[in-house]
Amino acid sequence: MNPANYLYLSALLFTIGAAGVLIRRNAIIVFMCVELMLNACNLAFVTFSRLHGNLDGQIIAFFTMVVAAAEVVVGLAIIVTFFRSRHSASVDDADLMKL
Amino acid sequence: MSATAAAVHSLWTTRALADTAATPAIPTPHIEYAQLSPVLIVFGAAVLGVLIEAFAPRAARYAGQLAVSVVGLAAAFAALVALAADGYAQGRSHVAAMGAVAVDGPALFLQGTIVLIALVATFTFAERRLDPVAHGNRVDSFAAQGSAVPGGEQEQKAVRAGFTTTEVFPLLLFAVAGMMIFPAADDLLTLFVSLEVFSLPLYLLCALARRRRLMSQEASVKYFLLGAFSSAILLFGIALLYGYAGTVSYGGIADVVDGTAKLTPALANTTGNDALLLIGGAMVVMGLLFKVAAVPFHMWTPDVYQGAPTPVTGFMAAAVKVAAFGALLRLLYVVLPGMRWDWRPVMWGVAIVTMVVGAIIAVTQTDVKRLLAYSSIAHAGFLLTGVIAVSPSGVSSVLFYLVAYSFVTLGGFAVVTLVRDAGGEATHLSKWAGLGRRSPLLAAVFAVFLLSFAGIPLTAGFSGKFAVFKAAAQGGAVPLVVVGVISSAIAAFFYIRVIVMMFFQEPQPQGPTVAIPSPLTSTAIALGVAVTLVLGVAPQYFLDLAGKAGVFVR
Amino acid sequence: MDPLIGALVGAPLLGAGILLVGGRRLDRTGHWIGCLWAAVSFVIGVVLFADLLSRSPAQRTLTSHLFTWVPVAGFQADVGFQLDQLSMTFVLLITGVGTLIHIYSVGYMEHDENRRKFFGYLNLFLAAMLLLVLADNYLLLYVGWEGVGLASYLLIGFWQHKPSAATAAKKAFLVNRVGDMGLSIAIMVMFTTFGSFAFRPVFAHVGDVSQGRLTTIGLLLLLAACGKSAQVPLQSWLGDAMEGPTPVSALIHAATMVTAGVYLVVRSGAIFNAAPTAQLAVCVVGAVTLVFGAIVGCAKDDIKKALAGSTMSQIGYMMLAAGLGPIGYVFAIMHLVTHGFFKAGLFLGAGSVMHGMNDEVDMRRFGALRTYMPVTFVTFGLGYLAIIGFPGLSGYWSKDKIIEAAFAKGGTEGWTLGAVALVGAGITAFYMTRVMLMTFFGDKRWQPDAEGHEPHPHESPKIMTIPMSILAFGSVFAGGLFSINSAFLKWLQPVTGHSDGHSPVATWEITVATLVVLILGVGLAWQSYGRQAVPAVAPRGSLLTRAARRDLLQDDFNHVVLVRGGEHLTRSLVYLDHTVVDGAVNGTAAGVGGLSGRLRRLQNGFVRSYAVSMLGGTAVLVAATLLMRGV
Repeated sequence: MNPANYLYLSALLFTIGAAGVLIRRNAIIVFMCVELMLNACNLAFVTFSRLHGNLDGQIIAFFTMVVAAAEVVVGLAIIVTFFRSRHSASVDDADLMKL
Repeated sequence: MSATAAAVHSLWTTRALADTAATPAIPTPHIEYAQLSPVLIVFGAAVLGVLIEAFAPRAARYAGQLAVSVVGLAAAFAALVALAADGYAQGRSHVAAMGAVAVDGPALFLQGTIVLIALVATFTFAERRLDPVAHGNRVDSFAAQGSAVPGGEQEQKAVRAGFTTTEVFPLLLFAVAGMMIFPAADDLLTLFVSLEVFSLPLYLLCALARRRRLMSQEASVKYFLLGAFSSAILLFGIALLYGYAGTVSYGGIADVVDGTAKLTPALANTTGNDALLLIGGAMVVMGLLFKVAAVPFHMWTPDVYQGAPTPVTGFMAAAVKVAAFGALLRLLYVVLPGMRWDWRPVMWGVAIVTMVVGAIIAVTQTDVKRLLAYSSIAHAGFLLTGVIAVSPSGVSSVLFYLVAYSFVTLGGFAVVTLVRDAGGEATHLSKWAGLGRRSPLLAAVFAVFLLSFAGIPLTAGFSGKFAVFKAAAQGGAVPLVVVGVISSAIAAFFYIRVIVMMFFQEPQPQGPTVAIPSPLTSTAIALGVAVTLVLGVAPQYFLDLAGKAGVFVR
Repeated sequence: MDPLIGALVGAPLLGAGILLVGGRRLDRTGHWIGCLWAAVSFVIGVVLFADLLSRSPAQRTLTSHLFTWVPVAGFQADVGFQLDQLSMTFVLLITGVGTLIHIYSVGYMEHDENRRKFFGYLNLFLAAMLLLVLADNYLLLYVGWEGVGLASYLLIGFWQHKPSAATAAKKAFLVNRVGDMGLSIAIMVMFTTFGSFAFRPVFAHVGDVSQGRLTTIGLLLLLAACGKSAQVPLQSWLGDAMEGPTPVSALIHAATMVTAGVYLVVRSGAIFNAAPTAQLAVCVVGAVTLVFGAIVGCAKDDIKKALAGSTMSQIGYMMLAAGLGPIGYVFAIMHLVTHGFFKAGLFLGAGSVMHGMNDEVDMRRFGALRTYMPVTFVTFGLGYLAIIGFPGLSGYWSKDKIIEAAFAKGGTEGWTLGAVALVGAGITAFYMTRVMLMTFFGDKRWQPDAEGHEPHPHESPKIMTIPMSILAFGSVFAGGLFSINSAFLKWLQPVTGHSDGHSPVATWEITVATLVVLILGVGLAWQSYGRQAVPAVAPRGSLLTRAARRDLLQDDFNHVVLVRGGEHLTRSLVYLDHTVVDGAVNGTAAGVGGLSGRLRRLQNGFVRSYAVSMLGGTAVLVAATLLMRGV
């Protein structure tokens, strides 16, 4: 199978994730869409690793997972405190500061 | 293609055992601990801070954390000076840790700057004299308990018990360590990981304001979501660059861009595809432009600067800009000089839009923290003009500008923490009217900072602006300099307006009071004034220093 | 010996510092501290003088480099001193006369509660004046130049409670600024021309520079000299400066500071020698002022203002001589020194008269004072004889030489300048005789002052009369001593250079002519003021007299041309500023403000729209990068 197809899939996933960030209101979902984008990156890394015949891309994928996990820890903590003080996780409610 | 596939397969199947001769041996990583010691010291101090949080009694934590932070940062600075004295800034500069971290002039200079910023920021973090005493406890700018609902019963309990969030110190140290690696990162993976290492603590710090918690949490959520979004885009850019060059090391990519790399069959396939390089490069640059707050990636800046606790804002505004500009310089000067004819026009556009938009929007701001945020956006634009120069004087001028800008910024935000009313800091500009009558010294100090921001001669801001504009003009970007000067004029308008407001307007009857700071904040402010005046009156020594430190290792 | 040069300036500076910082606790001793530092400086001056005398004439230039003031690549400003015969002459004059006047002031200012401050300012003046004459470069000279201007301003306005004194101080300051601008621009032009402003390199390279540049520098230096030395057209401040205490008038506005312009021209002799146009301008300015000051001096009834007119006129003589080039430099300085003696003596005498007459200055209310103030009468009388050039006294030696040198210039210029100088001598004799007669002879015309106190003329205390006597001694003998064996000429010649010139008129002819105009002047004055009683109220007088009383309409001229013109210019500029400039600025500001308000709305607070901006920005970034490559 042509590895390029994996790249197309990766780009598609990345686009879906980005669109989700723009469209969805719930902070958790927005965040999940960001994670989707990271996973799209992982797919691209692994594919390119295969293409170039070296291991760098695969190692980077592991790093990305670890970073994503750390991001989840911090992100969920922030979103949860945000939710608890407002009883809403909608990012559109967060507009105290503007202009 | 199948041959390569077989070679890769051989790495992780039993065929490897049978065919050891074909297996590239993975050497034991060789880490130059001594050369990485500044970063390691800061990481060590941070871990020690976490241990203090875990094991030390609550009463002892504040003093312990403060001591660990200060000693750790001072030791890191000493290590940096020792490295520089050993010649690592010039002759002996090289890439350490298996090509992950560069030890060279710009890296050491920026790390030194960041460590000093962090030291001053530690002082402002530790300030406990400004807020009124709550239930017999002196309190700082941070929430009693970050997880508690603002105004809820749990929070009140925590306030009564005198809890303070001393975790801010290790968080600060982790962020500092990440920032130190960021401009020194010599491969894209290290770049990405260090980006996250310094970003994640900052997201948390933003949410920890003692007062105006809702705004603080909102700032944190916005910063986090947009930050994660930008790092996802940056990571995709890294993936594309990796796809283009087959490596993430800066030197390796640069070789491929220049066409000097050894051509493998796979490379022959991808290097023909410049789209990968251009799109990937643009996405990585975007991730960095987000961190430096360049238009149109700046929109988080005003909200986050306004909502975050002011000491954190000061630290972020200063240190993030230093780290991110360092990384941007290295990326553009080491990885992508081969395609500067592609990125320079684009960066021209970004710089112009950043300077103009930052200066223009600032004109109608009414909140002093937002005003400083837009001013920091405009300054990012001025700095970009130096980056675009693509010359040694461009590097040194940006380095110098960063030093000048960051200490003034720290001092400026430290002043903001002192002007208070019943609701905490009085950040609305109307409350600053007539401040010069009530508190002439403070107003005068703030006026010095504003004049420096505006780039009035005899201040650090002028020397810095002059240096970057000169470098840009020599690099052939005269129109850019013209736009820069016009934006400076617009910017000067709103800085001077604040000065006029402070000194020539009648004070309001219910105006704010000026808190008497402890020596901690006073030091931060005094250092800001000293740097402003020293770099303004006698900048030559520091320009020379930045000039000496302006050569990247590859 | 060299460090002593710095001490010369340092001593009075230290004194000024002590007196001005010391505060009220020094009120009782301050005046003696002031005198002490002035005397110290004089003693140092004498020691240095002895040192110079012990050297051969070619070796008589001492230099002392203190430190580098502004060390910038290509721009080297040093603080360094140069002591040669010319500076030495000034040093002795400044410190000698200065010390005497310090001592005199102890008596004169006895009843003033700010006496300490007064002595502080006097010391400050001495330091600045010494700096001016000792500097080895124009920039440092400029520092001293501004320093004496400051001291002069402070001292003219010393009795600032009097509005007239405050206004006079302001006027002096403003008019001097015009001259100072000339000096500063001259220094700038000098730097761009020679790449330096130190005396030595500048004078050494005069030959390599175009005539136009040198003329420019010369004329600018002349402008500076006009301001400081009260020469036409910047002369208007000197008369008003008499509002200051009389010792100030004697020291600053007669003997030393006002002669700084002459010093500047003589010091820059190398430049002027190579720029004949500028030199001629100096001569013309000197000649015009000579007559101008003399005419003003004839009409004034205020004794100090009459003397001020005379000062102006005498400096005109010096300028005229300095403009003659090497023929005149030595005589300019010689007249400067003798004038320093007799004019300081005359002013101190006038101060003594005022001291005894309840601070009355109107000569129409004096008269017959010779019996009441014998010492003042004698010293003033000797000064009078010296200034009119009575044979054998100081003024005779120096003034006749100037007249002779003016004729020696040759051609029409020589005849004209010589004739003007000769006529000036006659007018000098007239107005000085007038002053003498109105003050010391005739009938008593005393009147009670504003508070009704009858004047009781009395001789001044010893502390005032002794300095007067010493100065009178100088007035009588200095000129003669200088002329024995041409001693002064030989002393100064290595610095200024000298050439004899060929006078078309024989020396004895000039002497006779001078004596004739002198006798004419004295006789005319005797006719008007000696044989007839002086009316207590001034008669209306001729048109010229009335104009001369108003300083030959110089203030009116300034008012009409400069003040009114300036006002009109300012008004039109303000109008232009309000309509065009402010319109443009306000329009731009409003435009920026409006744009700002609109752009602000993009910042709507929603994370998702921020993310749209980021993604859009990334897309633009990517697209632009791709476009650049044309992929």
